[in-house]
Amino acid sequence: MKESEILAVKAEPGKVHKLATAVLGLDVSADAKQLYAACMDGGIYQVDAESGASKLLTKHESYASGVCAVPGSSVVISSGYDGVLQWHDVSTNQTIRKVTAHKFWSWQSALSPDGKLFASVTGQYMVGSAKYDPAPETEPSVKIFDAKSGEQLHEFSHVPSVQAVTFSPDNQYVAAGNLMGEIRVWEIASGKMLASWTTSAFTSWGIIKSHCYQGGIFSLAFSPDSQSILAAGMGPMRDPMSGNGKQTWQKFAWRKANAPKIDEIHDGEHGGGHPESLAYHPSKKFFVMAGRLAQGKWNTGFFDDGSGGLIHSVDTKGRLTKAVFSGDGKKLFLAGAVGQPKAKDGIYADFGRVFVYGIV
Amino acid sequence: MDRLAIVRSIATKPSEHFQGIDLLTRGGEARLPFVRPVLGSVLAQQLGQLDSAIPNFIFLDPCPEGNEFKAFKAGNWAGWLGAKYGPVRSGGDYGIPDVNRVADLSAADQGDREALRRFLAKKYENERKSAAAGSQNAVFERVKGLMSCAPLFDLETLPQADRAKYGPGTFGNHALIARNLVEHGAPFVMVANGMPWDCHVLNHETHQMLVPELDRVIYHLVTDLEERGLLDKTLIIAMGEFGRSPWLNASHGREHYPNAWSMAMAGCGLKRGVVTGKTDADGYEPIENAVNEKNLFATIFSALGIDPYSEYDIPNFPTFHLVEDKAAAIRQILA
Repeated sequence: MKESEILAVKAEPGKVHKLATAVLGLDVSADAKQLYAACMDGGIYQVDAESGASKLLTKHESYASGVCAVPGSSVVISSGYDGVLQWHDVSTNQTIRKVTAHKFWSWQSALSPDGKLFASVTGQYMVGSAKYDPAPETEPSVKIFDAKSGEQLHEFSHVPSVQAVTFSPDNQYVAAGNLMGEIRVWEIASGKMLASWTTSAFTSWGIIKSHCYQGGIFSLAFSPDSQSILAAGMGPMRDPMSGNGKQTWQKFAWRKANAPKIDEIHDGEHGGGHPESLAYHPSKKFFVMAGRLAQGKWNTGFFDDGSGGLIHSVDTKGRLTKAVFSGDGKKLFLAGAVGQPKAKDGIYADFGRVFVYGIV
Repeated sequence: MDRLAIVRSIATKPSEHFQGIDLLTRGGEARLPFVRPVLGSVLAQQLGQLDSAIPNFIFLDPCPEGNEFKAFKAGNWAGWLGAKYGPVRSGGDYGIPDVNRVADLSAADQGDREALRRFLAKKYENERKSAAAGSQNAVFERVKGLMSCAPLFDLETLPQADRAKYGPGTFGNHALIARNLVEHGAPFVMVANGMPWDCHVLNHETHQMLVPELDRVIYHLVTDLEERGLLDKTLIIAMGEFGRSPWLNASHGREHYPNAWSMAMAGCGLKRGVVTGKTDADGYEPIENAVNEKNLFATIFSALGIDPYSEYDIPNFPTFHLVEDKAAAIRQILA
C-alpha cells in the first residue's frame, strides 16, 4: 500500500451483528470467516462473520473480558472477571482447560503474535492513601502462560489496576498499563523489566464530586517494528463521572531513556470520549483507535502511523471495546454495545454489537 | 449483615442530585418560602444542647466542591429552626480554621475578651430583637466550644490500630472521627462520601474501589460501637439520595434511578439482621412494602424515641410536623 493510498483509506459500513449482551473482547479466525466474542453474560461465542449466527462455546462465571484465537489451531483462549482463563477447542466444542489466573478480575488478555504465549492482567484498585492512590498489589498483576500447555511461565509486578496488556510483534516483549497511566515493559525471556514510565494523560482525579482516580490506560499496542508503544484512553476530566475527557493516544519511544513521548493525537482531531482499543492495520501503515464518543464526530479514528494524523473516522454510536482487522486487512471488526435496553415483557433486546467494515 | 436493617424498596421522585439530596435530608417536599430543616438540624434541636462544647450537628465532607452537592451545601440547612442548628462543617479542604488560642494571648485574657464580646453582642441582639444577631452569637458560642473539642477532630490523636481498621481513605478517616465524636457525646454526625457513586461512566471500574471501602467502614463502625456498648444508643444510617438504573448505559455506567433503591440502618430502636421490601426481578420498581422519604423519616424518629408526628413549636408559624401526613414508620425493621 502506497503512502498516497493510506491517506485515502476508507471504512465502508457492512453488516452489524447483534449479541445478547455487551461484547468486551473479540478476535477473528485466520480466514476471517469466524469471529469469537467475549461477552458480558460470561459467554464466549463463535459468530459467523457473514451471517451473524452465533453459538455459545463456553461460559465464565462473570463477565468474559477477552478472547484470542490461537493461530494454526482450533483453540481459543478466553479470560474473565472470574479470574479464570479457559482453553476451548472450537472444532469439538469442548473446554479443554481452566486455569485460575487471578483472585480478582482479568481485565484484559492478549496472545503473542506467534501464538505461543498468553498474557492476562489483573489488580483491584483499593484505597492506598487519603488521596485515594491505589494500594500496592496483593497478587502479581501480570501473568504469562504457555498458550499450548496452560503452564504459567512468568509473573510480573505492577500497580493495580492493570487494565491493558500487549505483546510486541517480534514476540520478545510484553507491556502493561494501569489506572495511573504507568506503563511497564518486560523482556519475556529474561523476565527483566526494561522500561517503566508514567503519563498523566489518561487518568482523572476527581476535583469535584469524588476524590478518587478513574480512567487509566485501556489499550496498548507496539508499533510494527516493536520500537515504540501506543497507549490509548480517556483524558483527564474535572468531573470524572462525565465521561467526556479527550479521546487520546500517545506514542512513546520506550527503548530510549525515560521513554520520551514522540507523538500524540493531534489538536483539533479529537473529541471527548473513552477509547478502549488500538489496532494496527496489517499494512503497518496506519492504526485505529476505537471506543465511546461523548462529544465530537467519531468513535473510531484511523491514524497515519507516520504522521500521526487522522486520516479517516467513523461513528458506530455506542461503546466500542475492541477493534480487530482481518489478516488480509480488508475488513475491520468493531465490537461493543449500545445502551442496555429496558426489558419489554420480561425480555431484553440484544445490546451487544459487532460492526463489520470493509477497508478500501 | 446480622446487625443491619436493610430496606430494599424505597421509591422517591427526584431524579437529580440537588432535589434528591434536598428531599432525602429534609424528609419532605418544599413548601416555599418555608424551608424544612435537614435531619441533622432537627436532631440537633431534639437531642442536643445549645451550650454543649461539642457541636450538635457535625458534617464531615471530603469534597468541598461537588457540583449539585456544592449548591446544596451553600443552602439553608437548618431552615425554620435557625442557623444555630446548622452544621459545623469539617474535613476535606475545609478544616476547622482559627480554633486555637493565639500564642501571645493568655487564657485569662481570652476569657475576659470573650465575656466583653458576649455582653456587647447580647446587648445588641436584645436591643435590635435581631434573629440574625442571635444566630451570630450562637455561632460564637459554637466556636468557643470547638476550641475546647478540636482534639476530637484530630485524626492524629486516635490509635493507629483504629486508623488501620478504617483504612487510609478520607471516607474511612471521617467515619473514624465520627465514631470518636459520638463516643464523646456528639448528637448527630453526617459523613459524606463525596459523589463517587455517581457512576454515569465506568461503573464497575469505580465500584471495584468504592464497594470494599464502604463495606470495611460500615463493618468497623457498627462493630466498634457495639463493642463500646453504644450501638443500642446510636442510630447508623447509610444511604444516598437515589439509586442507580438497573440497566447499563453505553458508557458502562448507570444513571440516576429513584424508582427503586435500597439503604441500610443499624443500631438503636431497630431489629438486627432484618430485610424488608422487594423489587421485581429486574429491579425496576418495588413490589413489596414500598416506602418513601416520609416513611423513612418516621422510622428514623421512631427508632430514636422521637414522636415523628409532633409539631414544630415555632410561634406565629404555619403548622408543620416532623413528618407530615402521618406517614407510617417501617414497622418491619423497628424493634
